[in-house]
Amino acid sequence: MTNAIEMRGVHHRLGTSFEIRDLTVNVPSGSIYGFLGPNGSGKTTTIRLMLGLLRRGKGSIQVLGRPIPADAARVLARTGYVPERPHLYDSFSIGEAIKYHGAFFRTWDARRAEELRVRFRLDAAARIGRLSKGETGKLMMLLALAQSPDLLVLDEPTDGLDPVVRRDVLTAVLDYVSQRDATVFISSHLVHELERICDWVGVMDDGRLVAEMPMQTFKSGIKRLRVADAPSLVSDTPFVLLAREPGDGLSGGEVWVVRGWQDPMKQYFEGVGARLREVVDLDLEEGFVELLRTFRTPDA
Amino acid sequence: MFDQIDPRSPTPLYDQIADRIRVAVAAGELRPGDPLPSVRRLAGRLRVNPATVVQAYRALEAEGFVEMRQGSGTFVLDIGANRRDAERHDQARDLVRDVLADAARLGLSAQDVLRALRLEIGTEAG
Repeated sequence: MTNAIEMRGVHHRLGTSFEIRDLTVNVPSGSIYGFLGPNGSGKTTTIRLMLGLLRRGKGSIQVLGRPIPADAARVLARTGYVPERPHLYDSFSIGEAIKYHGAFFRTWDARRAEELRVRFRLDAAARIGRLSKGETGKLMMLLALAQSPDLLVLDEPTDGLDPVVRRDVLTAVLDYVSQRDATVFISSHLVHELERICDWVGVMDDGRLVAEMPMQTFKSGIKRLRVADAPSLVSDTPFVLLAREPGDGLSGGEVWVVRGWQDPMKQYFEGVGARLREVVDLDLEEGFVELLRTFRTPDA
Repeated sequence: MFDQIDPRSPTPLYDQIADRIRVAVAAGELRPGDPLPSVRRLAGRLRVNPATVVQAYRALEAEGFVEMRQGSGTFVLDIGANRRDAERHDQARDLVRDVLADAARLGLSAQDVLRALRLEIGTEAG
């Protein structure tokens, strides 16, 4: 499998307090890759680095098979980018903005632009400066999709949008990728939104990538276990023990948060004289929260 | 037919989609020759990755439930009455296993569940 985006050992310092450290990211071609992380974890900085909008320190970056920043212009011509903050001229009308934007791209699809404008119920005559947040979000997505990109990079594309608009915007992305091969890199802190559509996840925290794997592996691998009669010292667990804490008091026992879980590992508990009472599945959000919580506690 | 798709469930989405179609085929809700929705339409409707729908259709094809015809879509195959029966049996068994697992978590015995079931379907007086 080839990768649409490859970042290797990338460093970048932003001011004195924040840096991206030894960042390695692999986004498989054709995937919908969800880039998760709390606010301020470095998601936007990573995106700006991969598009050559910021200069990296150490490391190497390849996007669509070309080196960044050397070939950034060619890569950007094939990349639809929806930045966190829109860059549109307030005095343009929607129709003018579409025309203006289209003039920059050889791959511009004027028919798709018009289809999306109608589907998004955007009035061609409306001034950009007077658009609602939802209308602006839809226009940004329209501009990125009409460019017929091989890669879509979406930085919090639905942040602050109401649920109806969010749905319209995401459906347009899914519709696009079901018609042609394209890779989608989508950053969000709205975890549930990504759970439906992504097949890969990367998790950022404090300038580092703390996990990167297929969505299903991520979701099925992190569990909460209810364990009774656990020995005070445990070693050689077949799974990664992320956290261990007292149970709710009603049932006694302990709660373990584990990573890399598979069902046959149940046998481990008999071997150490403990009883596994329950295996609780975590959804993406809970898994994400547990992962970050334990990652931030070095002793866990 | 796809109302119960739950992205938060640990069962992979493609499996949930395939399962809904298996149930519909076994129940005769989908008949031989019926077309499945296009990948694009179903992905849009469920708001899932189109690749997930393709994965579901491929799994169903491998099991002999459907046939993917290049360029014209995906169609339900005739799996025969015996296999339909076997499928219904499997689906009922899976349902019972889920119920028993839930019951165990609540501290209910198989007898408790059986009794409630009989009461519900009216074969035992309350």
